[in-house]
Amino acid sequence: MRRRASLVLLAFAVFFAALAPLLRWYGYPRLAKIPPSEYQTAVLEARPATLLDYGTMKPRTVSKVSIVQTLRGNVAAAEKVGKATGRDVVVWDALSYVAGPDGAMVSKIPERYVFDAHSQDPVHAGGEHVDGDAVRREGIEYKWPFLTEKRDYRYFDAQTRTSAPIHYKGTRTFRGLKVYYFEQTIPWTRVPLPKTMPVDGVTPETVRKAGTSRWYSTKRMFWVEPTTGAPVNGQEIHREELRGGTLLGDRGRVTVFSGHVKMREDYVRHTVDLVTSQRRLVLLLTTWLPGGFLALGTALFALALLLEARGRAARHQRSVPALASTPVPGIRPR
Amino acid sequence: MRALAAAAIGLAAALALVLAVTAIGAPSGETSPKPLLTTVPEHP
Repeated sequence: MRRRASLVLLAFAVFFAALAPLLRWYGYPRLAKIPPSEYQTAVLEARPATLLDYGTMKPRTVSKVSIVQTLRGNVAAAEKVGKATGRDVVVWDALSYVAGPDGAMVSKIPERYVFDAHSQDPVHAGGEHVDGDAVRREGIEYKWPFLTEKRDYRYFDAQTRTSAPIHYKGTRTFRGLKVYYFEQTIPWTRVPLPKTMPVDGVTPETVRKAGTSRWYSTKRMFWVEPTTGAPVNGQEIHREELRGGTLLGDRGRVTVFSGHVKMREDYVRHTVDLVTSQRRLVLLLTTWLPGGFLALGTALFALALLLEARGRAARHQRSVPALASTPVPGIRPR
Repeated sequence: MRALAAAAIGLAAALALVLAVTAIGAPSGETSPKPLLTTVPEHP
């Protein structure tokens, strides 16, 4: 009976001990992924900000500028690109909508971001674009990979349509979460004019024909929760100018937008709560379950050995009296 | 020999479980009907 129990325990011990590394190194990389149907919004604000008044073509200070970012996973497009590339793909249709203090549109830039659901590596298919311009992303955008490392990454800048390093600047604590702080500075760069301008009758063509160009510079900061790779806070010191041409009269440059953009407090709280719950799921797959299974496997193996040893001892004890009563040839009992 | 067979059963069961779970995966869901926002929302 003990023999059978120790064999059953041994089978379970091997089951759990094998499950630990299988789950961590085979299961986790395949199970942890961005769902293709994700829908997320974020609101960032610059208070106060400088905005160009297109009526007078002079910059003015306003109380607030809001940036509304929406990410919507396009499941049909993801399945189509997934079939074509043989990868698990996510397609995000995104919109960055900038509103003035009265809610009027300042700019709106649509994007399509196609990336690997597991590694967040960009996938060059499915019509990735920024404001209708085809782009070829390198590196990451919006989200870092699961189990983010303490190193620099390449981050795609939608305004310049190029990727540049985003530097790891240290580990911080943000609202009780351990986060990695990243920073990227884009120097003054000439960038395309948005396809949709905030004033009727003004188009990118009319601005270009006037010999005026748009320039942009930013310093972006992200606080990234490393287990999920999700930013829990983001800020930008963002500046845009129009330079040259007849539109500006005798001025060489005018500010279009300038402000320190920060995530709105209710969105920070919402994001921290969301990331905290997602972090538990990733930790379950990477640490808690594999660790627990390994400990359970070891304990069951020890129990199986113990039962087996006791069983052998009992069998040995039963066999000794039997041996003592067996007559040995040549020895006559007294 | 019996111990070896018991260990092999445990190993095979672990492999089968992980392969089955990863093969099934998570459902992809559907594209959200919510719009790309062009107004500032009141709350998340």
